[in-house]
Amino acid sequence: MNYEIGQGVVNALLLTGTLTLVAIGFSIVWGILNIINIAHGAFIMLGAYVTYWLFTLYGVDPFLSIPISMALMFILGYVIQRYLINLVIRAPLLVTFLLTFALEIVIINLATVFWKGDFRSVTTSYSGAGFAIGHVQVPYVRLAAFVISLLITGLLHVFMTYTRQGNAIRATGMDVDAARLQGVKIAHTYALTFALGAALAGAAGSLISVSFPISPTMGGEYTLRAFVICVLGGLGSIPGVLAGALVFAFIEVFSGVYAPGLKEAIALFVMVLVLIVRPSGIAGKAFYH
Amino acid sequence: MKKKWILLLLVLVMVAVLLPGCSKQGAGTSGKGCTVTFGAAVSLTGKYAKEGEYVNNGYNLYVEEINKKGGIKVGGKTCKVALKVYDDESKAERSAQLVEKLITEDKVQFLLGPYGSGNTYATTAIAEKYQVPMVEANGAATKIFNRGFKYSFAVLTPAPYYLRGIIDLALDQDPNLKTVAIVAENGAFALEVAGGARDYAKEKGLEVVYFDKYAKNAKDVSSLITAIKGKNPDILLGAGHLQDTLLIVKQSKDLNLSPKVMGFSVGPTAPEFRKALGKDADYVFGAAQWTPELKIKSDDVFGTPQNFAKLYKAKYGEMPPYQAAESAAALIAYQKAIEAAGSLDRKKVRDALANLDYMSFYGRLKFNEKGMNVYKPMAVMQNYTDGKLYTVWPKEAATKPPLYPFKPWDQR
Repeated sequence: MNYEIGQGVVNALLLTGTLTLVAIGFSIVWGILNIINIAHGAFIMLGAYVTYWLFTLYGVDPFLSIPISMALMFILGYVIQRYLINLVIRAPLLVTFLLTFALEIVIINLATVFWKGDFRSVTTSYSGAGFAIGHVQVPYVRLAAFVISLLITGLLHVFMTYTRQGNAIRATGMDVDAARLQGVKIAHTYALTFALGAALAGAAGSLISVSFPISPTMGGEYTLRAFVICVLGGLGSIPGVLAGALVFAFIEVFSGVYAPGLKEAIALFVMVLVLIVRPSGIAGKAFYH
Repeated sequence: MKKKWILLLLVLVMVAVLLPGCSKQGAGTSGKGCTVTFGAAVSLTGKYAKEGEYVNNGYNLYVEEINKKGGIKVGGKTCKVALKVYDDESKAERSAQLVEKLITEDKVQFLLGPYGSGNTYATTAIAEKYQVPMVEANGAATKIFNRGFKYSFAVLTPAPYYLRGIIDLALDQDPNLKTVAIVAENGAFALEVAGGARDYAKEKGLEVVYFDKYAKNAKDVSSLITAIKGKNPDILLGAGHLQDTLLIVKQSKDLNLSPKVMGFSVGPTAPEFRKALGKDADYVFGAAQWTPELKIKSDDVFGTPQNFAKLYKAKYGEMPPYQAAESAAALIAYQKAIEAAGSLDRKKVRDALANLDYMSFYGRLKFNEKGMNVYKPMAVMQNYTDGKLYTVWPKEAATKPPLYPFKPWDQR
């Protein structure tokens, strides 16, 4: 019994890192642009495939491919926002919702056409290796994914708080018109924010591909998780996403240990509970402070 | 948009699959000869893509070999064999839809099965509705056959028998083994495999210390592995398919779960298992409907398991997994039934199938009153440390003794 709790805590903590990265891009786009980006999971999937192909075709180490998948997804995200979503950005929420939904379908189906529906995995020479604390195992790959996730999250926090561009993004999220009056280029800032969200999704995908099997349809469940985490943690703040991811990871891991068949149901049930008891989320509400 | 892409994909798959078949069909109908057309929906993409590929290979290898010999004898004539295959994307509802299309639009004469019990469960209902025989080779769940259907037949051994061989083998190696943990994918086939294994383990005096199921599309079973490790079982048995089996072995290594015996219903006997896991495949046991090392002599188009393996390797570049062999065997069952009936009439062929008793390269083909083949035993194969797969059970067919016990991950 003690072993299960110890290993469960380690699993949950390690999972928190990856889940934070999965949800943070989604949270930024939602918080700043007011877009619920259904295609977020599809971006994660593309990031995972970038890593997979670089590893399989050229032998690039999956961790070294993270900057590449981030860069590629950044460009894709920028183009999609600037030349597609920007056209309807002022329309009601439902329109952008539908647009990203359609985008997701297109991306997934294109991926299925080109790469087939097979499940694939990135198996490196060091996957499976790890160290033990007592009976509790800590796989290196997951530990690395955890550290990198928190590092990227930290960098994002620094960027948003201390740089001109980051402040411009936050200002736009708080009040578009006031930001415009201060000389912020709104179209560019929007595109930049969306691109940032996509790049973070790409990084998450790269890290996921190392520990879990990937396929063109893998994204949907991550979009759902990102959504639940944002609701749990409260929309818009980086600490909120961290808190949401932490709670979600513990629920998922321990329901997986004691009731594997009900894993998803329990996570969603907790989300509903939080919505009823604390509609603003665990860490409270608001934009990027 | 989605439909469009699926349509495009289907057209591409159809062209790819049918191009070789079309020319043959044209040649067959122009002369005095005739053609028997078989149809199937098989998973070429999605979760069961790899298993589906083996099924498709098995069907195609038979068609190629029988056509080299002229075809199937129907009464006085010899008919060429043609095959029409669609991709069901590993989805049961899509599979049923495509089988209906094969019957009503493509007008195939006989049906072959898809991959997996879920898809077979759905498609056999369509076959029954139109009274078209379906000899399937990849749906082992008994619930497919508990609906009183008259037109469904399965050449493979039913699900509850899958893991018996591994349990027997384990107790033969070490009669002191006490505990077993069983995990199952939440699906018709796997739950029956797991249930059968649990009953058999209890019958053999083992204590089942863990028994639970995981979601069908599980991508992370580390929590499950954690719970099992807490129980410290002697034997770990997994009921599922290739992708789950890969996941369980991979994450067992992550969490250093090392029971004395690790065995699975589907996965370890597929070439893909070794490709995906490399050295980590060593010591893992897999249940096998058939192995290329069985000692059988038959007068069918392949003759022996060894000859089937040789032909398969020449065409597809790897040793045949049992899914390919049983798929080819489904066509052999048809061939023998058509020859016995002397006709292509669906009703007559169905009756001939019901009375069939034939020793093929794959094993005995005989169906009970429900349409299941309960007359053929299962074998066990093991991934050896030399990178090859060997038959290790039953003893009389074994080519190598089993490697026992499982070498713990941290000592490799």
